[in-house]
Amino acid sequence: MKYIVQHTTSYSYLEPVSLCHNIARLVPRNTREQFCNNTSIRITPEPDRINEYEDFFGNKVIYFSIEKEHWELTVNVTSEVQRTASGQMKMPVYHNATIQDVQKEISELKNDSLEIKQYLFETPMTPIDEDILLYASKSFTKERSVFEAAKDLTERIYKDFEYKPGHTTISTPLTELMAERKGVCQDFAHLAIACLRSVGLPARYVSGYIETLSPEGVEKLIGVDASHAWFSVFITNMGWVDFDPTNNCLVSDQHITIGWGRDYADIAPMEGIILSSGSHELTVSVDVKREH
Amino acid sequence: MADCTLTPTEKMTPNLLANPIFRDYFDIHQSYGELVGEDGKIRPHWETFFQTYIKLGETEILSRNSDTLRLLKENGVTYNIYGDPNGLNRPWKLDNIPFLISKEEWNSIESGLSQRAQLLNLVLEDIYGERNLIKKGIIPIELIYNHSGFLRPCNKIKQPGKHQLILYSADVAKSTEGKLWVVNDRTQAPSGSGYALENRTTMTRVIPELFNGLKVRHLSPYFTSLRNGLNEIAPHGNLNPRIVILTPGSKNETYFEHSYLSSYLGFTLVQGNDLIVKDNFVWLKTLGGLERVDVILRRVDDVYCDPLELRPDSQLGIPGLLQCARSGNVSIANPLGSSVLENPGLMPFLQQISRYFLSEDLILPTIASWWCGQPKELSYVLDHIESLVIKKIHRSPTGSSSIDGASLSPIQLEACKQLIKANPAMYVGQEKVEISLSPSLIDGRIVPQKVLYRSFLVSNQDQYLAMAGGLVRSSSDASNFIISSQSGGFSKDAWIISPEPGRVVNALKEIPEDVAETYNDMLPSHAAENLFWVGRYTERVLGNARFLRTVMQFLAEGNKLLTENNRETERKLFQSFTRYSYTLPGFVGEDAEERFADPWNELKDVLFNEKRPGGIKYNFLQFHKAIHEVRDHWSTDTWRVIRGMEEELQNGVPLTHHGHLQMIHTLDNLITSVVAFIGLNRESISREQGWIMLDLGRKLEQSLLVITMLKTTMVKKNNDQVEYNLQQSVLMSNESLVNYRYKYRRPLQNLLVIDLLLFDPNNPRSLTYQVVRLKSYLQNLPKNGASYSLTEYERLILEADTLIKLADKHELAKAEGEEYTKLNTFLSKIFNILSAIPGVLSKAFFKHELTPKTIILR
Repeated sequence: MKYIVQHTTSYSYLEPVSLCHNIARLVPRNTREQFCNNTSIRITPEPDRINEYEDFFGNKVIYFSIEKEHWELTVNVTSEVQRTASGQMKMPVYHNATIQDVQKEISELKNDSLEIKQYLFETPMTPIDEDILLYASKSFTKERSVFEAAKDLTERIYKDFEYKPGHTTISTPLTELMAERKGVCQDFAHLAIACLRSVGLPARYVSGYIETLSPEGVEKLIGVDASHAWFSVFITNMGWVDFDPTNNCLVSDQHITIGWGRDYADIAPMEGIILSSGSHELTVSVDVKREH
Repeated sequence: MADCTLTPTEKMTPNLLANPIFRDYFDIHQSYGELVGEDGKIRPHWETFFQTYIKLGETEILSRNSDTLRLLKENGVTYNIYGDPNGLNRPWKLDNIPFLISKEEWNSIESGLSQRAQLLNLVLEDIYGERNLIKKGIIPIELIYNHSGFLRPCNKIKQPGKHQLILYSADVAKSTEGKLWVVNDRTQAPSGSGYALENRTTMTRVIPELFNGLKVRHLSPYFTSLRNGLNEIAPHGNLNPRIVILTPGSKNETYFEHSYLSSYLGFTLVQGNDLIVKDNFVWLKTLGGLERVDVILRRVDDVYCDPLELRPDSQLGIPGLLQCARSGNVSIANPLGSSVLENPGLMPFLQQISRYFLSEDLILPTIASWWCGQPKELSYVLDHIESLVIKKIHRSPTGSSSIDGASLSPIQLEACKQLIKANPAMYVGQEKVEISLSPSLIDGRIVPQKVLYRSFLVSNQDQYLAMAGGLVRSSSDASNFIISSQSGGFSKDAWIISPEPGRVVNALKEIPEDVAETYNDMLPSHAAENLFWVGRYTERVLGNARFLRTVMQFLAEGNKLLTENNRETERKLFQSFTRYSYTLPGFVGEDAEERFADPWNELKDVLFNEKRPGGIKYNFLQFHKAIHEVRDHWSTDTWRVIRGMEEELQNGVPLTHHGHLQMIHTLDNLITSVVAFIGLNRESISREQGWIMLDLGRKLEQSLLVITMLKTTMVKKNNDQVEYNLQQSVLMSNESLVNYRYKYRRPLQNLLVIDLLLFDPNNPRSLTYQVVRLKSYLQNLPKNGASYSLTEYERLILEADTLIKLADKHELAKAEGEEYTKLNTFLSKIFNILSAIPGVLSKAFFKHELTPKTIILR
C-alpha cells in the first residue's frame, strides 16, 4: 500500500517573533513494514538554518531557525510511504511466549540489542503506582501469553476509557487519566506502556498517522485529524509488536510510523522556542491518502 | 624572631605538643591524626609549621585570624545558601591552619586522580559514542540509561581536543589508617577552584610568615592550564577563541566564584539570556552588537543549558545551544551530558574499566561500594544497611542524596529498604570511612576536625594537571560523613609541601601576565543594564539621603522660634519629602496629622525600614542587588565602601534626642560612602562602556530627581518666609547653597534658585548640566548601521535639550495665583520626556523584554 501523508502545522502570533528555534519529528523512518520513498518539507518564512540528523533512537529530526521578524509560521511535510502488509498478522505459532520467556531473552541480550532494555525503565510520563500495577495485573498473569495479554489490555483501555479530545493536555499525569477515564491516543499509549513496564516488559511509544479515508463500508478510524500514537511491546520470537488502544486493534497497514521513543517526550512531533512577548494560535491538519 | 634555627626534632617534639596551644586538641580527641605520627611524634611538616606558628604567639594568631575573616568579608567573598532567607551573601569562612599534604602523599594523589580523570574521560567518550562498555557487559546499561545525567540529545557529539572531559574534581578523604579514598567525582561544573585561590591569596597576605621554611607549591599552573585547556577545545582550530563563563546568576551558591574567576581569567561573565543562537553559532549580546562565542566554561548544570532539547522550563540556558555543539561551532567545558559521570554506581566498576581501557589497576582505590542493581550486592546492602551510606546514582534536585544508615530509626530503616527494593538499580551502598583528624583553628582554639579535600584537575595536552593545592572543608560533626559547604562549616587552604625551591608564595605572582587580553567592546547587554541601574540607584539613595538629612536637620535644630512660619515650613518639607521619595502615604495620606505630631517615627521608618518602598534602606537594597549582578566590575576598595554602607544601615536607633543625632550621622556616613563609591568607580571601572552606562544611569536619575525636588517644593505659592525656608532646604539638599552665595551674592530668590538648579551649565547639580551629558552619552552609543535620522532616544534627549534652551526663566519664576503654573508645566513636560528614555534604551540595548518563550506542540 502506498500513502501520501500531508502534515501542516501553522502558528500565528499576536506579537511579532524575532527569532525561533524549532525541532520537528515529522519525517517517517524506515521500518520492517514501511519504506519512506520521499519527503518534502516546506517552511514559510524560509528558515535561516536547517539541520537534519538522526536522534538517539534513530528517528529523523529536523531543526530549523527563523532569524527575522515574522508573524506566522507554517511547516508542511509531505511524505510518500510504501507500507507492506504487516508481518505481525501471520505469526500465530509464535504467540505463546510468556512474561518469563521475554524476561529470559532480555537477560541474555548482548551488544546492540541491549538497547531494548531501556524500554523497561519508568519515565516521568509513564510512572508506575499501585493503580497501574492493579490495572495491569488484570491482563497479565504468569502463564498467559504476552501477545494475548497485550491484546486484552488494548481492548480494556478501549472499553474503559473515553476518547475525548481536549480533556487532557500533554502535561496531564497518568493519575488524572486513571481517575477521569478520559483522554486521547497519547494518554492511552502512556497508560499501556506504564502497565507493560510495571510487569517487566519493554514497551515503547510510537508516533505516526492513520489513514484518513477508509475504504468504502469500513468505519473511519479515530485520530485522523492530527498525528496519532500507539504503543509497541517486545515479545520473544516476534520482536516489537504494535497495538493501537485508541482503535482497539493491532497496528495494520493503515498505520504509518514516524518514529518511537520511551514516551511522548522523546518523539514529540514539533517543539519550539520563540523570542516574543505575545501569545500564539495554532492549527494542525493531517491528510493521509492512499495512492492508486 | 631572630633565631630561626630549628632544634632537632627528637628534642623539640615533646615540648611542641605540650605547648598550651594544643590544650584543646588533645583534650577533645586523643588519637592518631594528621598531626601526630604512629610513633607518637609530631609529623615533620607539621612541626615546621607549628614552630613558626608558636613564634607568632597566640594573641598575634588570633588577631591575624580576625584579619583573615575581615579581609574575606571586605573582598566580598561569599557563599549563597539556597532556600535560606538569610543565606544570600553569607561570608566565607577560612581557618588559618592549612591542611598539609606531604610530598609522598601528593605523589599518589596526583597520579591517582590524573589516572581517574583519564579513565572518566574515556568513559564519557564511550557513553556518548560507541558504548562498548555497555555492549561488552563491563558496566550495566541501567547504571547509565537510568541516570538523569545521561542526556540522549548529546549522543555522538564530540568536541575537538584531546579530551572530552576538560575539568575534573574529586573529593578525597583520608581514613584514620592514613589511606586515601575518593569519595565523590565531580564532572558537571566543579566548583571551588576560585575559593581555593582566594583562600591562598588571603593566607599569603595575612600570615605570610607561616609559609617560611615550608616550600608550598603554587596554584597558578592550574589556572594557566585551564586557560590552555579551554583554548585547545576551540572550534575550527581557532587560536584566539572568545571564551565566556556561563553563570546561573547572582543567586547561585557559588556566584562569588564565577565573578572571581571571570576577573582572574579575563573571561566575560554571562548569563543564559546574554547569549543567543543564530546561524548555528552562539553569540554574545553586547552593547555594540553580537559577538561570536567560541568556548563556554559553564557553571550551569547541563540539563538547564538548552531549553529546546533539554529541560524546556529552564530560564538559565540558551535555546539552540546543542545544535551549535552538534555542528561543531561551539565547545563547552565540561560538555553537556558529562554529569552522567557523577554516579556513585560507577565506583564498583572502575577497577574493571581501568583494566579494559588502560590495562592498569587503579592507583587510588575507590571507596567500597555496592550497586544494588545486582542481586548479590542488593542483599549485601540490605543486610548491612546500618553500617553503610546509601546513595542514589544521581544527585536529586531536592535535598541531600546520601543517607547514613546509622542515623536511621528502625522505621526509617525499613522505609529505606523498601525504597531500595522498589528500584534497586537506582541505589548504591557505600562503606563508611573513619576520617582522620586535622588541627583546625575554630573559635580561637586549636581543635581536631574532620576534613574533606577537594582537588581540581584540568585537561593538559595528553594528560591531566592537578592543582597543587585545593579546597578543604572541615567539620566537627562526627556522625556526618558528608561534609558540605551547603551546611556551613569552615574552609581551609591545602598546602602541598614540595622539596623544590620556592619560598613564601607571592600573591601577585598568581596573576597571569596576559590577563590584560580583554575585549574592550564586550560589555554584555545584561551587565550594561545592571550598571545603568546601579547608576540610577546610586543617585536615588544619595538624593533621598540628602533631602532626608535636610528635613531632619531642620526638625532637630534647636534655638528655633516656634513661629507659624517655621511650623508651616516643617509641614511643607515633610510633605515634599514624602512626594519626592514616593514614600506615600507618609505625610500626605489620611493619617498625616498623626505623623506630623510624631514626625521622627515616620522619618526613622523611611530611613531604616527595608520593606518601605521608596525608603533609604529599600533603595539601598535595590542598589545592592544591582551591584551583585555585576560584581566583577568593582574593585576591592569599592567593596570596602559597600560593606561600610551595609553596616551603616544595619541597626536601628532609639527615638531619643541622641537617636535623632545618630540618624543624621548615619545619613552623613551613607552620603560620604555613596560619594566615595562614585569616585572610586570613575577610577577603577575596567571597561569604558561600563562607566558610560553607570554614569548614564546617574545623570538620568539626577535629572529626574532635581525636577521632582522642584516640583514638590517650589511650584506652590507660599508666604515669603516659608518660600525662603524651602528654597534654602532645596539648595542644601542639592549641595548648592554655597554655590548660590558665591555666584549671586544676594539673598535667596525664586528666580535665582531656578536659574542655578535648572539652567546653570556649570553647576554640576543643575538639570542643564545632566542633560548636556546625557545627550553626549546617548549620541555616542553604538549604532547598528549609519542613518541620518535620529534614534528614538536621541530624539527624546534632543527634545528635552531644546525645551530647556527655549525656556524663559523669568516667566517660569512668576506665580499665577496660588501656583507657579508655568514652572510646573515646564517641569512636567521634561520629566515625561526623560522618563521615557529607560524603556527606549532597554528595547534598543538590553532586550530584556524578550525572554524566550517555550511552545510545545501537541
